[in-house]
Amino acid sequence: MSDTALSQPGAVSVPSFRFSSAETLKHVVLILGSLIVLLPFYVMVSYSFKSPAEIMQNTGGFFGAQELFRDDYCIKLGRDVADCMVTPVIYNYSTAFEKAPLLRYLFNGVVVTASIFFIQVLVALPCAYALAKLRFWGREAVFGLVLFCLLIPVHAIALPLYIMLAKLGLTNSYAALVIPWTISVFGIFLMRQFFMTVPDDLIDAARMDGMSEFSIIWNVMLPTAIPALLAFAIFSVVAHWNDYFWPRIVITGDRSLFTPPLGLREFKGDADGDNFGPMMATATIIVLPLIVAFLVAQRRFIEGITLSGMK
Amino acid sequence: MPDSRAHLWFVGPALILMVLILLLPILVAAGLSFTSYSLGNPGAEFVGLENYEKIFTRSTYEKMFGATFRYVFVVVPLSVGLGLGAALLINSTNRFGDLYKTIYFLPVMAALIAMAIVWEFAFHPTIGIVNSTLERGCGSFLEAWGWFAHGCERGFPLWLTDRDYAIWTVAFIGVWQGFGFNMVLYLAGLTSVPRELYHAAEMDGARTAWDRFRLVKWPMLGPTTVFVVTISFIRSFQVFDTVEAFYPQGGGPSKSVYVMMFAIYEKAIQQNLMGIGAAITVVFLGFVMFLTLIQRWLVERRVHYS
Repeated sequence: MSDTALSQPGAVSVPSFRFSSAETLKHVVLILGSLIVLLPFYVMVSYSFKSPAEIMQNTGGFFGAQELFRDDYCIKLGRDVADCMVTPVIYNYSTAFEKAPLLRYLFNGVVVTASIFFIQVLVALPCAYALAKLRFWGREAVFGLVLFCLLIPVHAIALPLYIMLAKLGLTNSYAALVIPWTISVFGIFLMRQFFMTVPDDLIDAARMDGMSEFSIIWNVMLPTAIPALLAFAIFSVVAHWNDYFWPRIVITGDRSLFTPPLGLREFKGDADGDNFGPMMATATIIVLPLIVAFLVAQRRFIEGITLSGMK
Repeated sequence: MPDSRAHLWFVGPALILMVLILLLPILVAAGLSFTSYSLGNPGAEFVGLENYEKIFTRSTYEKMFGATFRYVFVVVPLSVGLGLGAALLINSTNRFGDLYKTIYFLPVMAALIAMAIVWEFAFHPTIGIVNSTLERGCGSFLEAWGWFAHGCERGFPLWLTDRDYAIWTVAFIGVWQGFGFNMVLYLAGLTSVPRELYHAAEMDGARTAWDRFRLVKWPMLGPTTVFVVTISFIRSFQVFDTVEAFYPQGGGPSKSVYVMMFAIYEKAIQQNLMGIGAAITVVFLGFVMFLTLIQRWLVERRVHYS
């Protein structure tokens, strides 16, 4: 801390001290940590550029030599050898999209993730408003229930949920992917905490203007709750885009309903040696959207997590 | 306060969903755990405590608890410790803090199933980058370390298929994936430590960095730590993606990676033994709720004192 250094006599005469041993050591440790953290990302992106031979022999540097190689599958289809020479990077990424309906998986991922978030907000926001700003009989009991439900990890009760959905004949449907996540007690809790900080005067003024309770929620509370909503969106989207366990349970067989993580797993199932490149390309495509979103809106992401992490 | 029934419309849907999706399943699981129920089979019998008896006596489940606890008791301390360490280091340097923060947070954003597949390649005994990097160290001073010399002579471990290494390797990936999240929470905790406290501590003779940590930062980070530890416990109890990606056929070498979530999946979904799956679910829920209640109690106790 620079201010502590300044308050010590003698610190002024050795201003460069801060950049020597202790500081260097810190950076050495942090850089070593970064290398380990980045290693699999390096492997993933690098392999997605390389030809099978380069992967096997571990040559070609990060981007691979990008020499043309023969696509055996293409030859099997009876085409001319000259037409079957491909660049590794193009081969890997095009195979990723051709061999599996990756676009369909990505579409499913977006539909499921977006519907989950939309419904969660639709349910949680009014409830949070009522718990924070309305006085009614049983309010404490409802809030107590919310606190209790925070103890229940939804993944842990996956089995009874699966049985219930199976009894209703809903497995292998979008509904099965979305229904268990429609209620987010965490969202209710987070937004209630946020609404508690909104002054009552604001709501009273809106009531004076003749606004109904419904329009107060959507026109007054919603705009003020944007930071909390954003924090919640981050949690919700990250969790459900990346979720593997629940789709794995309720989607059996029907490929057209696969979410991106399931699609990647399927790819792995029938991968032989030649498929390493395309598989890494698929992994890159699945991981990329959230990483890019994170890099673009880093500050917001970290603020959001901080906001909701504070209890 | 206008007299209206609006709150019913506001709270109602959430209430109904909470009961149907969160509370009812617990009752269903509890009920089924006393039966030999299986899906599509109408003849479910009441078997009393038989399922629980199996869980606490059979060696498969002994392995399940062993794997789960090994995983949890490696991942929680390491991911909390590294999270705290990274936060303190980043907080105390003047440069590149944002860059390190971004890098360490990347694994949190990446789909674990995708990264598991990448790690599997990295740990591959012949084409993997981990062992080929280790081999490069052969012939250097590193061979002074017995384990390393042995590796150079006989080949480095088959990380994921050797039963002595498998669970630790999976735990390593868990730590890799999770500590960035803890780091962010700790960084938030550190920024809320009032500046004046450092000065006050300094006046009282706290000169070294260690003193500042011990006397100021650590106590102020108490609530963050409680929260971070609980979250880490709950998350690591639920590990599934890596285990299923590496060992789809069940639990890894000698079932040494047979964690609870995978056991529930295998017994109930793959083998359709819902009764035993439900019993594991109940035991699992018991653990998680117990841990969260301890956290509540710790946080509340702290609030009263401060």
